[in-house]
Amino acid sequence: MADLALQAKNITKYFHDPVTMPVLKSISLDVAKGEFVSIVGKSGCGKSTLLYVLSTMDTDYEGEIDINGTMATGKTLNELARIRNTSIGFVFQFHYLLPDFSCLKNVMIPALRLGKYSYKEVEARAYDKLKMFGVEEQALKSANKLSGGQQQRVAIARALINDPAIIMGDEPTGNLDSKNTGIVFDLFQKLSKEFGQTIITVTHDEDFAQRSDRIIEMADGEIKSHGR
Amino acid sequence: MKINVNTEIALTYLLARKKQTIIASLGVMFGISMFIFMQSLMKGTNDYFEKMSFNTTPHIRLYSENKVADNHMMTSYIKDSSIKILTNPKQLIQTQGIINPYGLIKEILKNPQVYAVTPQVTADVIYTSGSVQINGNVAGVNIIEEDRMFDIQSEMITGDFRDLNRVNNSILIGKGIADKLSLHTGDNITVTSGTGSPMIMRIIGVYATTIKQIDETKSYVNITQAQNLLGKDRSYVTDIKVNVKDYNGAPAIARELETLTGYKAEDWIQANEQLKAAFKIRAVILNSVIGVILLVAGFGIYNILNMTIYEKIKEIAILKAEGFSGTAVTSIFLQQAIYIGLLGGVVGIIVGYFITLMVSKIYIGAGNLKYLPMSFYGPHYVEAICFGLLTTIAAGFFPARKASRVDPVTIIRG
Repeated sequence: MADLALQAKNITKYFHDPVTMPVLKSISLDVAKGEFVSIVGKSGCGKSTLLYVLSTMDTDYEGEIDINGTMATGKTLNELARIRNTSIGFVFQFHYLLPDFSCLKNVMIPALRLGKYSYKEVEARAYDKLKMFGVEEQALKSANKLSGGQQQRVAIARALINDPAIIMGDEPTGNLDSKNTGIVFDLFQKLSKEFGQTIITVTHDEDFAQRSDRIIEMADGEIKSHGR
Repeated sequence: MKINVNTEIALTYLLARKKQTIIASLGVMFGISMFIFMQSLMKGTNDYFEKMSFNTTPHIRLYSENKVADNHMMTSYIKDSSIKILTNPKQLIQTQGIINPYGLIKEILKNPQVYAVTPQVTADVIYTSGSVQINGNVAGVNIIEEDRMFDIQSEMITGDFRDLNRVNNSILIGKGIADKLSLHTGDNITVTSGTGSPMIMRIIGVYATTIKQIDETKSYVNITQAQNLLGKDRSYVTDIKVNVKDYNGAPAIARELETLTGYKAEDWIQANEQLKAAFKIRAVILNSVIGVILLVAGFGIYNILNMTIYEKIKEIAILKAEGFSGTAVTSIFLQQAIYIGLLGGVVGIIVGYFITLMVSKIYIGAGNLKYLPMSFYGPHYVEAICFGLLTTIAAGFFPARKASRVDPVTIIRG
């Protein structure tokens, strides 16, 4: 139990529009700490939906979710925000950096929200992360002045700033060319192997999935294979 | 300096859209400066008219009112215990004026709020010069006391009002009377009252107030002379005029004096009801104008914040994904509204002050009013800031709440 980063039990979710129909059918799932898991499946099989349920952003589901030893189900929205702030980092298909802020600020904001470190410390940590991903030169540029690959790397740095228990990726390479996809994938692998970071990504990219530790295959709202 | 991250984001958003921020603040600024300008003008005007009314009206006037005949009067007259039924009772004329006026004055002076008391004899008269007659009234007063209460000196055109005490059979007339009868200081005038015999008086001066009706009817004589004119004795007094230290407390003191003396005590507010009505009407006009301006400013802020939220809906979703709670998001957008309000408010009071200052230099020159009466009253500025902030907070609240309710899943998944 202690070495699980995430545990989901009997997750069931319905879409109500236009008619009520199940998208997730009693899904149970464990992810160990340090695992690099890919969730694959056809469009509409519910893999993204599952990820957003696991991320605590979507609260309209049945079942139980335990993140890093904390029961997330039944918490208030503000408590869930706190859990996301401390334990989960997100990387999306689009970088979603805030264009009014510099890259460094973008990375700093979640840490400033957390308030665990002083402003100076946060600044230093954010800079370190950018350096780790080779984008420290862009630190003071506005986020929309960067190339797609650079933006995604900044976005990953942002996801990492609070040392989250889990990084969740929703097609993190879906919008990148093969070169940048390679860079991002190498980063994920490095995080997983060298830093013991738990990573859960949803992806369409076969190559990407094949190179991760475990592949969870989904179809029609159910897990077909847990990949072990 | 440690800035909260919500504040930092709010400020960054405001600075990223300088034009919008400035336009929104301008709206608030106009509201606030108009608020200050109109408040200053209204208070200045009200103060001016209040002061003016005290040139002719005492704070409290005590007089004996005609009473309707009742059973008590009949009982005390007939002195028996039979039951009396009065049908169609009539007003009884109070011929005696105020009984024991000088005793009463002594009593009234014991009240610590009172600072001046003076008796007066009022008589309706006809002024005659040659073959022309006009109606009017004479106030028999102690002119020195009268000057202390109503600043007669400032109204004098010719002559010296102190001559009322020095010259026998003297009278101080209004400018309107002087014009109508073509009289000057040093001329004689015939004054006839309803009860006494006509008297020829010497005009020792002419005065003018800003109220034409008073100038055309009222004249001053020595109190003993007024008593002579009416054929009454030395204890005959029709009014006692009282000035108090704080004129706003006059109504309460008037009630006290009524109980103390048993005579009707009319305070300046009752005597100048049209003045109070004018104050109220002005207040309504002013408040509706300010209300509309602030409402428009409020809508401006509401619009701009709403637009910002539509534009930034993805960013709000991302902030929420990063762990910003609904409360934090509300705080980010409400803070933007507050900063717009503060900026507009501070600039607004400065502009408002200068507008007030400039307008107070506008020459009017009507009557004895030289410049527009403006008041520089501190609490107006505090009120203005409060109203400004209240408007912006109210305008910012709904967009901020909307932002806090953004559902990150729907936005991010598209």
